[in-house]
Amino acid sequence: MPDPTGRINRLLSLIPYVLKHQGVTLDELSEVFEISQEQLLKDLQLIFLCGQPDYTPADLIEVDIDDDRVYISMADYFARPLRFTPAELSGLYLACSALVKLSGLPSSSALMSAMGKIRDALGVTPISQDDIDKSVEIQTLAPERAVLGELSRSLDRRRVVEMEYYTYGRDDLTRRRVHPLSLQFGMGHWYLRAWDGRSGEVRVFRVDRIKDLKTTGETFEPPPEEEEEKTPSPFSVTESGGTEVHLRFSPALARWAKEQQIFSEAKEEGDYLVCTLHADALTWLERELLQYGTEVEILSPPELKERLRHRVQNLLSIYS
Amino acid sequence: MNKAERLINLIAMLLEAQRPVTLDRIRNSIPGYQQTTMASFKRMFERDKSDLRDMGVPIQVEQVDAFGEEVGYRIPKEEYYLPEIEFTTEEKVALLLVNRLSSGEVVPLSREAGAALLKLSPDLGDGSRLGQPGSLHCKFALQAEPVEDLTRLWEAAVRRRTVRFTYRSMGEGKEQERQLDPYGLYFDRGAWYVVGYCHLREEIRSFRVSRVESGVELAHPAVEGPDFKRPPGFKLEDYSRVLPWEFEEGAEYEAAVRFSPKIAWLVERDLGEVYRFEPAEDGGGILHVIVRNGEAFLNWVLSFAEDAEVLSPVALRGKVGDRLLRILDKLGGEGDA
Repeated sequence: MPDPTGRINRLLSLIPYVLKHQGVTLDELSEVFEISQEQLLKDLQLIFLCGQPDYTPADLIEVDIDDDRVYISMADYFARPLRFTPAELSGLYLACSALVKLSGLPSSSALMSAMGKIRDALGVTPISQDDIDKSVEIQTLAPERAVLGELSRSLDRRRVVEMEYYTYGRDDLTRRRVHPLSLQFGMGHWYLRAWDGRSGEVRVFRVDRIKDLKTTGETFEPPPEEEEEKTPSPFSVTESGGTEVHLRFSPALARWAKEQQIFSEAKEEGDYLVCTLHADALTWLERELLQYGTEVEILSPPELKERLRHRVQNLLSIYS
Repeated sequence: MNKAERLINLIAMLLEAQRPVTLDRIRNSIPGYQQTTMASFKRMFERDKSDLRDMGVPIQVEQVDAFGEEVGYRIPKEEYYLPEIEFTTEEKVALLLVNRLSSGEVVPLSREAGAALLKLSPDLGDGSRLGQPGSLHCKFALQAEPVEDLTRLWEAAVRRRTVRFTYRSMGEGKEQERQLDPYGLYFDRGAWYVVGYCHLREEIRSFRVSRVESGVELAHPAVEGPDFKRPPGFKLEDYSRVLPWEFEEGAEYEAAVRFSPKIAWLVERDLGEVYRFEPAEDGGGILHVIVRNGEAFLNWVLSFAEDAEVLSPVALRGKVGDRLLRILDKLGGEGDA
């Protein structure tokens, strides 16, 4: 049986949502409650069957869907959602403080005052905030936070941004004019999705590699949504294209390499691990390989071996 | 009869009741309870009641007559209803962003936070009611560690409960059953770690949560707890801000590394608050780093290739040279380009 309490919790908030916002669209409800329209209609049908004894038409909750707009009546006893459980209150506090540490967005003062109102309405937390703070430590992303504030302001106002960006893959610092479209956090970093004037395409940039940022007075029209969806996620592994690289990690690094999320394939060969990856630039890979030292062997392509040899000789000349 | 429907009807009835409702009336009124025998109805009702109490529904048991022979049930409205909260637009945007974070299950208790935000949703509305501010174009990718593990570890840390799990350590390679007194959790560079007293190693250790192979369970589920005390001087930050080359291996020394203008700003941003950074006129700079593990430090320096140069100590410069020669040797003698 699918989680009935999750569904009940949703229904107990869905009813007050509609009561407070009569005529709300199906679209808005399925977005807020993170469910498909099909599930939403099932939920509304279920609400329609509930009410007070003796469950005659006059006792049941009334649900009307008119032209994609939803109306509910005869449900005054469900005018407010259920109170928080202690764990929900702790969870909300934890998530608020994590957001401040990770992004500083939109402003920690707004979050703190919102939390203050919630605390005032609900009374004290069962687990003190001090206890929560001492049990979880989230590294503040200081460099990213400095840039994120400005980026989110330009996102709000659809302003063209000028930035100096360090491309790790090509080891290159360049100036660009971009149209910021969205921000995403994952694997410990913030990524900016933006239309890039240099390449004429939507690209993904790592926010901590933005050296400077200037919001211009120029505004832009966002591209249609489907266009935006086409850009690859910064977290997906490239499965094809670019240069195919095969590496063999020694037993000392095999276990570690297995955890890395850049390889499209990893095969054990005894205690060794043979990994495949698709790279659209080799420069960054040379740098990665330098750190692994003699614990990795390049199986192919020969070009990468040649480039690494050249680079090591260069470095040796610095140290001799 | 659908269980959700039955439970919603039960809540509705007990909320509206002027006086406590007896079992008989509940059975006779609510569809879904009637078809069964009295005994199986009672079992069913007990299960429903405990499900609802787990959800936080305040079901009260009260006497219905002066002799206390029969009891009834009711839900006091003042204990059930979440008070209405008026948020400003900024506060709404902030809380909608928190909702994004909880959808990504980035932190412990994310599901609970999401449930709380769902309860606030009538007071928050959605982005369209706030004119779709750009900061709501923020998303959080799903965090790799299972949020159940994070939540259990966190609860064990605040309730001082010993946990057990099987762990695949990087060094030893094989899985081992561990017992841990968890003191706290930290998030660093995209990964979660739990710090605590390890019963196997008999010292305070950090564990990467993604390397926990089994689920996390209480070591002594039968007792109430707390199972341990956190040492009075313990500070989570002493364990959470350790860089790879700070793990104790040998003697501590200071190293100076020069970074090129192309990269120095990145290094300064990342480590300028931890170590002394001496800016140079060309836009580059020198970072003075405390090193305890030379090999780990060299891994990091070499990841910058020609953009970083170890200036001192001389012995460390020598080690860089040795490492480079070994790499060259391994690359083999296929002729020089």
